[in-house]
Amino acid sequence: MPIPTPFHSRTSRLCTSMQWKEWAGYYSVCSYGTSHDPEYFAIRHAAGLIDVSPLFKYEVRGPDAASFLSRVTVKDVRKLKMGRVTYLCWCDDHGKVVDDGTVSRLGDEHFRVTAAEPSLSWFDRLRRGYDVEIEDSSARIGVLALQGPTSRDILAQLTDAELGEIKFFATRRCRLAGVDAWISRTGYTGDLGYEIWVDAAGAETVYDALIEEGRAYGIMPAGLDALDTSRIEASFIMNGVDYYSAHHCLIEDRKSSPYELGLGWTVQLDREPFVGHAALKRELETGSRRRFVGLDIDWEEVESLFDRYGLPPELPTSAWRDSRPIYDSSGDWIGQASSGVWSPTLKKNFALGQVPREHSQPGEKLLFEVTAEYRRHKVSATVVETPFFNPERKRS
Amino acid sequence: MSSQWDVAVIGAGHNGLTAATYLAKRGRSVVLLERRDRVGGVAASEEFSPGYRTAGVVHETATLRPWAVEELGLSQQGLVKRAEASPILIPTETGPGYVHWRDSDRAADEISQHSSVDAERYREFRSFVARLSPVLRKVFDEPLADLEALDMSDLWDLGRKAVALRLLGKGDMMELFRIVPMCVGDWLREWFEAEIVSTALAAPALAHGMVGPWSPGTNLNLLLHEALFYEEISGGPAALVSALEKAAVAAGVEIRTEAEVTAIDFEGDGVSGVVLSDGERIGARQVAASCDPKALFLELIPAHYLAAEFEREIALFRTRGIAAKIDLALSGYPVFSCRPDVQLSRVRTGTNLNHVERSFDAVKYRQMSDEPTLDLFVPTVDNPDLAPSGHHVVSILVQWVPYELEGGWNEGQKNELLERTLATLDRYASGIRDLTVGHRVLSPVDLESAYGVSGGHLLHGEHAADQLLTRPVGGCTGYTTPFQGLYLCGSGSHPGGGMTCAPGAFAARKILRDRN
Repeated sequence: MPIPTPFHSRTSRLCTSMQWKEWAGYYSVCSYGTSHDPEYFAIRHAAGLIDVSPLFKYEVRGPDAASFLSRVTVKDVRKLKMGRVTYLCWCDDHGKVVDDGTVSRLGDEHFRVTAAEPSLSWFDRLRRGYDVEIEDSSARIGVLALQGPTSRDILAQLTDAELGEIKFFATRRCRLAGVDAWISRTGYTGDLGYEIWVDAAGAETVYDALIEEGRAYGIMPAGLDALDTSRIEASFIMNGVDYYSAHHCLIEDRKSSPYELGLGWTVQLDREPFVGHAALKRELETGSRRRFVGLDIDWEEVESLFDRYGLPPELPTSAWRDSRPIYDSSGDWIGQASSGVWSPTLKKNFALGQVPREHSQPGEKLLFEVTAEYRRHKVSATVVETPFFNPERKRS
Repeated sequence: MSSQWDVAVIGAGHNGLTAATYLAKRGRSVVLLERRDRVGGVAASEEFSPGYRTAGVVHETATLRPWAVEELGLSQQGLVKRAEASPILIPTETGPGYVHWRDSDRAADEISQHSSVDAERYREFRSFVARLSPVLRKVFDEPLADLEALDMSDLWDLGRKAVALRLLGKGDMMELFRIVPMCVGDWLREWFEAEIVSTALAAPALAHGMVGPWSPGTNLNLLLHEALFYEEISGGPAALVSALEKAAVAAGVEIRTEAEVTAIDFEGDGVSGVVLSDGERIGARQVAASCDPKALFLELIPAHYLAAEFEREIALFRTRGIAAKIDLALSGYPVFSCRPDVQLSRVRTGTNLNHVERSFDAVKYRQMSDEPTLDLFVPTVDNPDLAPSGHHVVSILVQWVPYELEGGWNEGQKNELLERTLATLDRYASGIRDLTVGHRVLSPVDLESAYGVSGGHLLHGEHAADQLLTRPVGGCTGYTTPFQGLYLCGSGSHPGGGMTCAPGAFAARKILRDRN
């Protein structure tokens, strides 16, 4: 049975829709109201407050913490400066992605790793010979994502931190509503936003203060449905949805390399070996099989397809994550879209998926499966640049 | 880095010496690097008490492969084989004791004193083991086929092994299949009614093992011991080392003692040499490590160079030391009450399989045996020079004594071990305490630090079916490693530990082949 997060006393009162789901063993709100749309628009136009405490969190401490993480992950974490956060992934020996997450440098010898899946046993297996301690801080620390254009203004009311200094992918320790906290300029929405890390004991104080001060700035508690719409617009991939951890795949074909997931930019090969190094080097030389792409599904075709049956076009009411086939222009199966959404901001029907490299160039015309009146059809879809939505304020 | 040497060999134990000599004889320039002040590793002679020297930590030399002696020309370097396997005294507290002879004719009288039926059974036993030997030698006295990358020569090799198996005839072949996974105790009790005979025969199957006579699979070790038992060396392990050292020097090997390798040097995807403790870098195009696989992969190579799966497999390779070494300096040969007039070089305690099992039990719980099982070698019987005139050296391998002793090892624990060992001996040879003029106790932890063997395991890894047929782990069963130019050439490789010279010789062949 799921357990409550440190903010549960607050989120449960606000969740009038009673729409919950289980995320990593915790109760998580899908949408606070009967529709998630207002929560999504709060993220894009004001501020959404999302309880992301179920993230797996690990504190890696010790003289060898940086070199340990440089072995485990695809990045040379030794180069990460104090107060900086980096996004990366980690692989198995065969260069297939195990998980992705962020690493924050909180001290000379202290890093915080976030993960989508339990990772302690994997980290622990690679620990021999390194002077490090690894703490699973998942339950100890509550995390709030405050995302949206007014997020900075809200935080400014509550913290002593110089927010101008907390640049994109930076993190600082500060007092927030009288509570000791870390603020990082990170998020999963592709918008201006922050994540707030507090000990469980101070969680409710921080939550109350944000809601109270945020009222004047249009803050809304936002659930996972709104988050999912935002993250697809921002083209962020999700473990277990857009790819599967190499540790759980029964067949090789299910596994993905960083290059296939669009995470090649996180891989730093020109350094001492790390887990998966040799395989990734080989893949870079020989070329990857697949690419991760964004698809813009032709709306007019969808419309006329449903019109044939005398129906208005149908769309899922929120982001979908059941895989759907992708075909080349001659109708042969070539890959699958793993998640997608109607973008309320861009008014387009987007999907994320994997296709063979030769079909991955922006502008490539492909076919996407749509079911209308119980029958399967193919409509045009064009490979487009990602992220779909990339406002300047994201980095400001 | 330009390579100074064709091959650098790490560790000058008997396998390091063997590999280096094979390579040098084939024209390779070879440097042999030894951490200690002398060559020989656990086979080296050492003064443990003023005026008293051992003939090596280990005792058994009959495992030495005759073909290696021949190919290395060890006879020309002074190696002398004993005409006959040493008889072993199994003392009893009361009664006549038992002297175990390998040869059935010599054994008949001794066994008859305990069972007239067994004397005849022993003859049949020897004959049965002799029939099985060709098959076991085909597997354990030849390099393993590379099952991970089978080519025609591997298939040919497997075919020859299969033919040898079938040539046993249906009866013996099926019997071999039946008995290999057995407990050594069960099988021997099928043969013999005299418990002391079974116990004497079982001992080699239990040496250095986290196993007792009732542990499944131990029979494989007995069969290997019996099938791969050749001729003993006069003078014990130290005499082998001395001949090997001469052969190495004659072949042109440069031997450097007090040269401790602390790291493997890498360049690109392969090795480029080694680094010594003082920072000296020694360039070599190939590196052969005769240290145990755990020491090589987990200590000389930084963790991030290892694939995660490989590192895990190496870490799981079992090297649980369960034997301690006690050396005694005695003012005379101990008088065993069962045979007061006999002075043999080999003595073993243990007259009953259940007693031996109980002796083993303790180690499962991180305790040392109350009554340890002792394997004694008295090298001064044949080589009086190791001690002052009339005096003797008694080298004792003491089982079962855990590396991971509960509470850890300290001087008090070592004194307790000495006390238990002497108390055990005193039951068969009272007065041994009065003869003792010096001693040395090496716990498994001491063995690890003195000889660099992981876990204090003198065979570089336990001998069990899973660790013998894919030794040490998949991916490096054929002396190669995941690193180009880096080889294993010690007891942690096929066919395993003990004074055989086989891993060193087989590895050298592989190294020569790879560079041809």
